[in-house]
Amino acid sequence: MAQHSDRLDDIFQSLADPTRRTVLGRLGRGPATVSELAEPFDMALPSFMKHIRLLEDSGLIRTRKEGRVRTCVLERKPFTAAESWLSAQRTLWEARTDRLEQLVTTAHRRGPSR
Amino acid sequence: MIRAVDPELDLTVSRIIRAPRAAVWNAWTDPASFEQWWIPAPARCKVVEMDLRPGGALVTQISENGEPFAPHLSGCFLAVEQLERIVFTNALVGGWRPAEHPFMTAVISFREHPEGTDYFAHVMHRSGDDRRMHEELGFHDGWTTVAAQLAALVERR
Repeated sequence: MAQHSDRLDDIFQSLADPTRRTVLGRLGRGPATVSELAEPFDMALPSFMKHIRLLEDSGLIRTRKEGRVRTCVLERKPFTAAESWLSAQRTLWEARTDRLEQLVTTAHRRGPSR
Repeated sequence: MIRAVDPELDLTVSRIIRAPRAAVWNAWTDPASFEQWWIPAPARCKVVEMDLRPGGALVTQISENGEPFAPHLSGCFLAVEQLERIVFTNALVGGWRPAEHPFMTAVISFREHPEGTDYFAHVMHRSGDDRRMHEELGFHDGWTTVAAQLAALVERR
């Protein structure tokens, strides 16, 4: 869980910036090169690369360089751990049932139900 | 009625609760009781709407760390059979209107049992991209708004 929280901190930090959100939105439609991604912004390339690196460090995107062209791809893995997803749901619903059970059995012992 | 369980997408919780079925039913259907167990403390739950009939809304909000209440669940009841069964989904909101981010239908069954109530929850999920959002929503009750924005950003563009 702690690891999950750290990852979320990185993710939310990445999302806290409009430039990076725009980049992610663009990558949601498919891979793009850094120069394509930088085009809509009035920003020097080194500054833009800082955003790209931050996104990459947070695990939200992957980049690969071929020759002089760096291509960025949205990394869906941070959100697709199917096993942990379903087991997390199970934990949630079981805990929910625990609390329901505790509430009604406590109330039942105290007296007739409402 | 229990449909086939898809182990990839569904979860089930089965529990014999040592209390009368009416008590369990009331804890589910009385908003003040529901608020006490739906979300883990110290977070607080507020039932904004619980219109117990097919098409009726189920809307809850969450407050964490004394923050203002934020959206949590917005769904629609599909079946409400007194003392027997509650079916709801977030694929619809109240009044049968299609929801923005559907991912789940839950069938909650209450049956008489010699020791109390046989409580059974069958929660069915959508496959694919919707799981991502549910992971964030379910794992981090309270991050709802941010996570929904994140999911919308990543998935909808």
